[in-house]
Amino acid sequence: MSEPVTFLSRAEALIGSHEAQAVESGIRNFLVRREHAFDVFPIGEELRDRTRAIRLHALANLDRLLGHFADKLGEAGGQVHWAADAVEARQIAADILKRSDAKLVVKSKSMVSEEIEINEHLEEEGMTVLETDLGEFIVQLAGDTPSHIIAPVMHMTAQDVGRLFAEKLGVPYTDDPYELNRIAREHLRESFLRADAGISGVNLAVAESGSVILVTNEGNGRYTTTAPRVHIALMGMERIVSRWEDASVVLETLARSATGQHQSVYTNVITGPRKETDPDGPDELHVIVIDNGRSDILGGDTAEILACIRCGACLNACPVFRTAGGHAYGTVYSGPVGSIVTPGLYGMEPWWELPYASTLCGACEEVCPVRIQIPKMLLQLREKAAAEGRLPAWLERGISRYGRTVSDPQKWASAKKWASRLSAPISSDGWIGRLPGPGRGWTQSRDLRRPAKESFNEWWRKNRGT
Amino acid sequence: MERDRFLTRVGQATLSSVLPAPPRVAPGLPELADIDLIALFRTRAHEVNAVIHGPVSRHGVPRAVVGIAAGHEASNFLAWDHLPAPGVSSALQSAGLDRLDHEIGGGSPRLERNLSYLGLDVGVTGTTAGLAESGSVVLVHGSGRPRMASIAPEVHIALLDVATISRTLAHWAHENPRFAADTTNLVLVTGPSRTGDIEQQLNLGVHGPRHVHVVMIR
Amino acid sequence: MEGPQVQLFVTCLVDSLAPEVGRATLSALEKAGCTVEFPVEQGCCGQPAFNVGLVDDARTMAAHTLDVLDETEGPVVVPSGSCAAMIAHHYSALFVGSRREEQATRVANRVWELTQFLVDDLDSSLSASCGGCKVAYHYSCHGLRELGLDHQADRLLSDTDRTELAGDKECCGFGGLFSVEMPAVSTAIMDAKLDRIVASGADTLVAGDVSCLMHMEGGLRRRGSEITVRHIAELLGDPQ
Repeated sequence: MSEPVTFLSRAEALIGSHEAQAVESGIRNFLVRREHAFDVFPIGEELRDRTRAIRLHALANLDRLLGHFADKLGEAGGQVHWAADAVEARQIAADILKRSDAKLVVKSKSMVSEEIEINEHLEEEGMTVLETDLGEFIVQLAGDTPSHIIAPVMHMTAQDVGRLFAEKLGVPYTDDPYELNRIAREHLRESFLRADAGISGVNLAVAESGSVILVTNEGNGRYTTTAPRVHIALMGMERIVSRWEDASVVLETLARSATGQHQSVYTNVITGPRKETDPDGPDELHVIVIDNGRSDILGGDTAEILACIRCGACLNACPVFRTAGGHAYGTVYSGPVGSIVTPGLYGMEPWWELPYASTLCGACEEVCPVRIQIPKMLLQLREKAAAEGRLPAWLERGISRYGRTVSDPQKWASAKKWASRLSAPISSDGWIGRLPGPGRGWTQSRDLRRPAKESFNEWWRKNRGT
Repeated sequence: MERDRFLTRVGQATLSSVLPAPPRVAPGLPELADIDLIALFRTRAHEVNAVIHGPVSRHGVPRAVVGIAAGHEASNFLAWDHLPAPGVSSALQSAGLDRLDHEIGGGSPRLERNLSYLGLDVGVTGTTAGLAESGSVVLVHGSGRPRMASIAPEVHIALLDVATISRTLAHWAHENPRFAADTTNLVLVTGPSRTGDIEQQLNLGVHGPRHVHVVMIR
Repeated sequence: MEGPQVQLFVTCLVDSLAPEVGRATLSALEKAGCTVEFPVEQGCCGQPAFNVGLVDDARTMAAHTLDVLDETEGPVVVPSGSCAAMIAHHYSALFVGSRREEQATRVANRVWELTQFLVDDLDSSLSASCGGCKVAYHYSCHGLRELGLDHQADRLLSDTDRTELAGDKECCGFGGLFSVEMPAVSTAIMDAKLDRIVASGADTLVAGDVSCLMHMEGGLRRRGSEITVRHIAELLGDPQ
């Protein structure tokens, strides 16, 4: 049986499923918590403008900031590596780990690590890679993929997790979330302490000091970047701000927008490996700065999407995401931001479809803490897709014919009369229950109003025209 | 890829990009009305499930810490060398708790020392500041101030001088713009470790400490 | 009372599928004291083409619309938030750098959505009524987010018995051609919306956009629902 390959076919398979229902209810929880998060903060609304200003400034000066970041991190004893693409990034990470004879690697959550598919590569090189974020740990155990940027197992219930743990970890079944958390804690504790290396993402880098900032709630991010000898931080090259003051403003925004918290539990600012006099911490810090298509996005129409701080708010606000879930997008970055980033990073084939997975309702832009103009960029990508001839022929021809007809008063008048006449035999009581061809998409779940016998235009001419 | 080639490619992209102009924002941060920072800190810290004690005087701190440790039936602890109040570690040891070692080297290789934290009950740290809006404490690590003291134990006890409480992270950073640059490792701790990953139900003590106590010092 | 002279741009959907909404709009404007003109050569604002990325076709329709409206003077009133937003916000981008750039701006500045015009411009005392019906109001997305339409409908509906509709500012799932290109998703979003409308206890669903309304009405009919569906103009104007 072949895998569904379009957003629509994946969505069709997921809608109404157990997974989709779990996602919808999960999101409702998020929305409730987030609702007043900005109101309560003393400079709430202004925060969005400040965050936008900081991020746009950083993108406009990205090369300069990255260079400064690398200089400062070097001064602090860290090492910076430059990866043009996923292949290079994996290679660099593998080389670092092999040089330090690393066998057990613990990982804290990083979207970019999934983007470059590092786990498989390291395992091919003979290492054991353990996901330690609870959600990612569950996903790894299940051989699944995350369904939401912030909440990777939004699509699973506690019963699902309980069954998984019983099967894979050999523990007695429980579906109590507290107990499940404790099982994961016990299981992973020793791994943290024995691991040779830790891999993390970077929520935000600070150019002026060469710092990387990690934001987590569970504590595994601190373990993976403190206990092992080697720390590798994977950084999407756009995740940077100029100064510590700028970072603090973005951090105020990030937790509030993602989960409605004032701050996440652990906000870790790391500037180099441990010093001689530090009692703990890694001996080596490597930051791998990754391009992998970002400079293409930066040089194009959708550059603004790189200002994203990965809070996930647009996902939760999107009616399409809420209905179909993250897996429908078929890729690492889902939801409104994913619909723009994915074709940007990986090209229009086959990802041109994602910008069409939207009603253009604008809820994403409304909640975005960086005020990113998502609908505008979705339209730009649609224009690109249409220009590349990706739309179905019936749509292109239909719209073209419609455009010429409706812009010619006589043709339009005549077309309306014809439509009304043609629809008579398939209508009842002014409504059409079944349409052929593409129209079937409508009538499979809705009736369609029948074109009026007398259009407004005709009525006006008869009754009001001079 | 070498640095220069990488950055040149990025530089070229910024030249041809169509980034919107950034919005104008006033420099600095808006002035906020004076409020009772201690009361706000207490409220917000409580909301994130931290337990707040005091304010006590510097002399009252050791007794407060011993009391907290006893309440958790702790048998060992890991403490910073330099705490905002004297006598804490010796008081804990007098109360019968074992003090764990934290130095790398000195005969204790990394793995051995790491594994010694497996049964760690209590970690005692100082703080550099408190942040009232979020109920967070700021820990700056360095010589004699291990990170593990606030990562590995079941219970983390943080000693906070109330005079160091700022309104928000943004305000504190504005007043201390050099902080990131001058430290190797800084962490904001906002209550106990938590997760909502399973059915968005909040649970505490996933990997980090299950309990966070903040002893306020006046 | 002499009110302003306005140009009515009914939209292609109202013209062809819901002419009664056009008549109700006309009546509402006249009741509010306006003299209404209807440029008979009008067609479509071009939004269906624009939203799928077929910008050349959108320009064809937009150019015709600009020419028709540019022959006239005074405010242009549109009983649709999405069509009004198309002209007011997107035409300038369509024609930037072209000979129609100035025309696009000129016409865009004259465009008003119906409730916006009645409340924000005329400050009319016109009030919606429906003979004691219980109203659930859906805020159509483009009007809400591109034109900031919400208090206008609230004021116009203040004398009606309004039910609380959960998620009334969330999308209905129409999305233009999305409704036939991704029908399963469109339907799923619509189902969630219709469930909430039914749960609100309303007997009448009202909105400011025929696009949303025909989608939701089509779904309600398919469910065998007795809920009446009306454009807000029909609660403001008299039947003609």
